[in-house]
Amino acid sequence: MNPLIFTTILMTVLLGTMIVMMSSHWLMIWIGFEMNLLAIIPILMKKYNPRTMEASTKYFLTQATASMLLMMAIIINLMHSGQWTITKVFNPTASIIMTSALAMKLGLTPFHFWVPEVTQGISLTSGLILLTWQKLAPMSILYQISPSINLNILLTMAVLSILVGGWGGLNQTQLRKIMAYSSIAHMGWMTAVLVYSPTLTMLNMLIYIMMTLTMFMLFIQSSSTTTLSLSHTWNKTPLTTTLILITLLSMGGLPPLSGFMPKWMIIQELTKNSSIILPTLMAIMALLNLYFYMRLTYSTSLTMFPSTNNMKMKWQFETKQITLLPPLIVMSSLLLPLTPMLSILD
Amino acid sequence: MMTYIVFILSVIFVVSFVGFSSKPSPIYGGLVLIVSGGVGCGIIMNFGGSFLGLMVFLIYLGGMLVVFGYTTAMATEQYPEVWVSNTTVMGVFLLGLLMEVMLVLYVLKSEEVGVAFKFSGVGDWAIYDTGDSGVFSEEIMGVAALYSYGAWVVIVTGWSLLVGVLVVLEVTRGD
Repeated sequence: MNPLIFTTILMTVLLGTMIVMMSSHWLMIWIGFEMNLLAIIPILMKKYNPRTMEASTKYFLTQATASMLLMMAIIINLMHSGQWTITKVFNPTASIIMTSALAMKLGLTPFHFWVPEVTQGISLTSGLILLTWQKLAPMSILYQISPSINLNILLTMAVLSILVGGWGGLNQTQLRKIMAYSSIAHMGWMTAVLVYSPTLTMLNMLIYIMMTLTMFMLFIQSSSTTTLSLSHTWNKTPLTTTLILITLLSMGGLPPLSGFMPKWMIIQELTKNSSIILPTLMAIMALLNLYFYMRLTYSTSLTMFPSTNNMKMKWQFETKQITLLPPLIVMSSLLLPLTPMLSILD
Repeated sequence: MMTYIVFILSVIFVVSFVGFSSKPSPIYGGLVLIVSGGVGCGIIMNFGGSFLGLMVFLIYLGGMLVVFGYTTAMATEQYPEVWVSNTTVMGVFLLGLLMEVMLVLYVLKSEEVGVAFKFSGVGDWAIYDTGDSGVFSEEIMGVAALYSYGAWVVIVTGWSLLVGVLVVLEVTRGD
């Protein structure tokens, strides 16, 4: 793509999300979402093959439907309250429709079907932008309307998302689909605690973005999109193998890595609000997630995956230099002692 | 006849919708869209929304439909489908017309026919606020406000349109 056009379109994606996060008028928020959607389509379609076109079409259709639902909720809110500010959604119908629309944008169950298919059809870098940056805008709106969200609907969607994210990822060998299912599960964790303490949602979002950025960049560096090609990293860059191990365990939520921090805080907050069965179920279902992360580490770092003999003696080409990778790896594994600092997110 | 003008216009509205829903070639769909746009504008104006009707003509018919017509004319085939050329299209069109005739008869003779629900006049659809506060029309003041303290909205929407064009060109390039 022409670099000038590419820069313009990328800046428009950023601008769209910024408009969503900084507006106080519902119409501007909707315009921000549409600008974001429109500008990310050519980024998803960077290579012109039928897979990317199909993935971009699926993404466009689902997100456009979600924007239409959001507009309907905005208008119902306008009808019942007569004003356009985002402090509170005044009508339960509007609140439910708005929650469903934002859940469609995030990829929560039962609207999760587009996430694995779209993530699989696009390149690794586009998948990175899709799974991290695109989650910021809907989450910020959910944060702002959190006092008026119907708890039953949101908790149902969250728990089902954690289940689907864990269960659906079990049969996958394609790395992008694994990351997509992990994204669904993490969105479930984030929205489960939204009504109780939105600060923890933001904390979970922050740590999730760091970990997903790290994972994707490790994949980009070894140009691997399947488990099989990831299992050859011991020959290409042996250090990456250890880092993949650490980051995956962090994503699974194991102490003493930083992925444990949001899960711990969320379970603590839920039990403080006298719901015990729910966090127990969520923690058990997070084990499904941990299982397929462990399977990745087993084939990548812990064992030498079966391969032909010439795969074991690869020619050392120049490795890609990803400047952001070391700080990201450190942040996604060693942040746990900084937990008392989460009060700055209030 | 003037007392029934809204009714007559709405019948023509529905018939033209049936006309393009029966899916002839897009050129003919655009033709009945023009008719339906004009007639819909007439309906709105009968309820006092003169500004809205003007906007329909200017922006919808004069902007969007013109662009649609040009692009369809560039992409059309040698023998486009009319309503009578294909049995399916003609069948759907006639079915729609038949349903509309039945509905009109029902509305006109509503005392003699008993159906599940009743048409009780215009009801909630009548708007008594035409946007005139007596001295000046609120709708024109809205447009003026858009360009004075709504400047950010103009910038954002203008940028969205520009990026829309860039995106469409980029997507259809197919290198």
